[in-house]
Amino acid sequence: MKRRSKATLATPSRRRMLKQTAALIAAPYVLRSAHAQGNADVAPYTAAKINWRQAEGEEITVAFIPASYFDNLIAIAPTFEALSGVKVRFEKVPPGQIRQKAMLDLSSKTATYATSATDPMYYPLYVANKWVEPLDRYLNDAALTDPAWFNYNDILKAWRDADSFEGKPYGIPYDGEVTVQVYRKDLYDAKGLKPAETLDEFLKNAAALTDAGNRMYGMALRGFAGAGQNMYIYPSLFKEFGGNWFNGKKVVVNSPEGVRALDWYVDAESKYAPPAVRNWNWPDIADAFSQGTLGCYIDAHSSAAVLMNPEKSKVIGKIAFARWPKGPTGKRVTSIWNWGLPINAALTDKQKRATWLFITWAASAETQARTSWKFAGAAKRSGLNRTSLWKSPEFLAMTSNIGPNFVEAALGSLEQDTDVDWRPRVPQWPAIGDTMGTAIQSALVGQKNSREALDEAQARIDQILKG
Amino acid sequence: MKPTSGARGERRFALLLFAPAFCALVLTTTVPLVYLVWTSLMRVDLSMPWLRGFAGVDNYVKMGVDPRFWNSLWLTLVYTTSTVALQVVVGLSLALLVLRIPRGQAALRIAAILPIVLAPVVVGLFWRTLVLSPDVGLVDVVTRALGFGSHNWLGDPQLALISVIAIHTWQWTPFAFLVLLASLSALPPDVFEAARIDRAGAWQRFRHITLPLIRPAIVIVVIMRTMIALSAFAAIFAATGGGPGTATEILNLYAYRTSFSELNLGYGASLAVVLLAITLGVSLVMFGVRRAR
Amino acid sequence: MSTRRLRTVLLVGMAAVLLAVWAFPVLWALLTSFKSERDVLAYPPGLIFEPTLRNYRDVMFGPSSLLPNLWSSTVVAGASTLLTLLFAVPAAYALARLQFPGRRASGFYVLATQMLPPVGLIIPYYLVLQKVGGLDTYAGLVVIYLTFSLPFAIWLMVSYFEDVPQEMEEAALLDRAGRMRALWYVILPQVRGGIAVTTIFVFLNAWNEFLFAVVLGGNRVRPVTVAMFNFISVEQTLWAKLAAGAMLAMAPVIVLGLLAQRHIVKGLTVGAVKGGGRR
Repeated sequence: MKRRSKATLATPSRRRMLKQTAALIAAPYVLRSAHAQGNADVAPYTAAKINWRQAEGEEITVAFIPASYFDNLIAIAPTFEALSGVKVRFEKVPPGQIRQKAMLDLSSKTATYATSATDPMYYPLYVANKWVEPLDRYLNDAALTDPAWFNYNDILKAWRDADSFEGKPYGIPYDGEVTVQVYRKDLYDAKGLKPAETLDEFLKNAAALTDAGNRMYGMALRGFAGAGQNMYIYPSLFKEFGGNWFNGKKVVVNSPEGVRALDWYVDAESKYAPPAVRNWNWPDIADAFSQGTLGCYIDAHSSAAVLMNPEKSKVIGKIAFARWPKGPTGKRVTSIWNWGLPINAALTDKQKRATWLFITWAASAETQARTSWKFAGAAKRSGLNRTSLWKSPEFLAMTSNIGPNFVEAALGSLEQDTDVDWRPRVPQWPAIGDTMGTAIQSALVGQKNSREALDEAQARIDQILKG
Repeated sequence: MKPTSGARGERRFALLLFAPAFCALVLTTTVPLVYLVWTSLMRVDLSMPWLRGFAGVDNYVKMGVDPRFWNSLWLTLVYTTSTVALQVVVGLSLALLVLRIPRGQAALRIAAILPIVLAPVVVGLFWRTLVLSPDVGLVDVVTRALGFGSHNWLGDPQLALISVIAIHTWQWTPFAFLVLLASLSALPPDVFEAARIDRAGAWQRFRHITLPLIRPAIVIVVIMRTMIALSAFAAIFAATGGGPGTATEILNLYAYRTSFSELNLGYGASLAVVLLAITLGVSLVMFGVRRAR
Repeated sequence: MSTRRLRTVLLVGMAAVLLAVWAFPVLWALLTSFKSERDVLAYPPGLIFEPTLRNYRDVMFGPSSLLPNLWSSTVVAGASTLLTLLFAVPAAYALARLQFPGRRASGFYVLATQMLPPVGLIIPYYLVLQKVGGLDTYAGLVVIYLTFSLPFAIWLMVSYFEDVPQEMEEAALLDRAGRMRALWYVILPQVRGGIAVTTIFVFLNAWNEFLFAVVLGGNRVRPVTVAMFNFISVEQTLWAKLAAGAMLAMAPVIVLGLLAQRHIVKGLTVGAVKGGGRR
């Protein structure tokens, strides 16, 4: 359940950036000086033809995870408070607990959190329980949303779809990520290798680079058990091997495609990855890569932040990016993960309006830019939610130091390699995701073979779904 | 006349003293327990709210065919017996050893206090990272230096189970050590003298004289450590989370994961009830054994 | 003579090895806490490096400072210890020394409550605390901690009261006010040591508690155990900082452990009769 959290880019010193972010949060003085720089300028917001002050005097609590992409938003939140007269209290809940806490709150209808950073896989569950508001009403209400200004369709389609269920949006994406190949350009060049176009090539590249005696491994994919760990990588493989999570309404995980995909995963990890990878999450992989012991990995584009920390990294300037290799079906399938913001259905009407205003403010193009390249601190967000921003010259300039193809690989993946049924979207996802994470890991560590692991998972999932 | 009113007064006074604690215990333990048992008879699955309702013993029946339940039960057994046995054996050997060293007992006692006072969750965390990580962890550095090579201590199912057993043993052996050391030190020296004059061998002395004398202390250590091992949670939760796969998923963790990761509160409650039943059963047997001696 | 000396040397050597096994993991964490991140990842890890205090500065005064969490732990552990003693001492005296109907059953009840699996209690606690607005409050957590500290403290105190010489029972012949005075002025001073031991153990158990704190606490009340656990889920890659955080989290209990060493050993052995662990 512990997910990635430090998805910011590439700046001289992570420590310094943390400090500066902290300084921004902590010191009103600094904020005031930020105002002086023009960041408090509300004109780009007042251009929207809505009444920002319609929920004036409300107070809402928002749960985020402690991550710099949210810290940036918190740092400029006084602008929203000034604009709307709504007071926002932020609560930072660690990624491992935010789902649990949000769910305990939603299920008990205490309305503690007006909105919280939400895992897209949880919408089916929330919707089944009617815990969150359908947002089409809000989007279509001229008093609440100026369609021309907010331009919902500018938000990356893959993420919009991920945060919708049965055709209705339930969350608005704020920040997200795609999985891409991150590889050592210098090592690839030295051996005359090219970034893999197919999974087979991916293994060939890995084989060419692996030299376990010298602590050099060709590849790594997260293996740690969990819905947000190995079950974040495996779905892409499953889909690329032609897997389909559903047979009618039944969730099927032990299809021949599933077994083949898991066999590939097990085989790749056991031959070309560091032995400990089966217990690794993304930071461990990024650490190993930054120490120069990995040739390539596939993970979130934002993990590049760790690689750019000069205090630790030995690979700065040697990194390049590429889209997922194609599977046997010729498909590439990337992650559609994002943190979206829903509205808690247990709020009063006025609170709901206040929350909606906050969400549209946070997801607006202007705020997205202000938390990215316009941000005064050192940590600039790279998980922006809008196509127009990904294509802007400012974003390109900001990310140019990370490595060649960064935007190209990430945006290409986002636009062409997504599949809304990347993971099975059913209310029982928490149990299914956990079951699958455990099953995958038991196959990776050789406790069971792929077939047994998936058959057992299937039996359990059948139990779970049985009504 | 006087004794009667004294007895009544004593009764009243006793109730006055005991009642507040009793009420607090009822409120903080018994009421939630009733709720727990009730929940275990319900179908409460947050991911399927439409199924909510009375389930009778369905949750318990389900365990019969749930391989993860049997796995967790087996692991609970392995974990409990092995950690308790190790603590007693290592703790006792160590106590016997320390008893004989002329100096430095105090230093050892201080070192022994160290693990006991630490929070299990913090112990689990720093073992997972600083002690057991491949390449940079302490154990890995040592095994490499000794020529045993690098191992995936928490990533391999067998090694992970051994690791969590080692963590628990590391943290709690000092407890057994200190208790047994105290009871050994309290033994009258003349029994040993007599045995020595008889020229009994060291093992025989231990077997026929020392062991029977400290048996009560050993029984108590076994009882207490068993109870604690059965309720172990935080250290494993922090070190492996029950993984890899389900390799270290003892019943406690399985109940937690069922309730909080899978959101099946009804089934999670029934697992907790089974754990409670086991704990009570084991303790009844053990107290029975203790009384019988 | 010389074989005897050899044996002594051997014994001391073995003891030293065991001492190392116990102390090393903590010392290793201590060492790591003075390294820079780069030195932590150095392969093979070296004993020679340039020590830095930066990790400590970060975990104390940086953005994810542990100081507020240490304060939380202090408040929760302190208050629950006080409350526990308030309930436990009189109850233990009654169980140990006075005759009243249901005494045996009560004793068994107290013992049995110690065996409840905490995992099973969280959900009821959550629902109740939420109803009364007790989530993420000190009061909520302090009351919940009675669950495990009260049975334990009662049993520990019972064994101390049982050691009080029979002559003190003269007090039993007095009237109620007299009994109270006798308990306060005569008997309690006899079990001062026991109260000290109980205080230390209850405090340690509360300080080290994790499961209830992680679910029932929140932003305002986040004891250091939870903060440490969060640390690894948020700052997974910063090992030296993690080590510094762990040292900071461990320091108070280690200091307490060393200062109260004698009491702890005594508590373990006395308590060994009826209780004495933690979850």
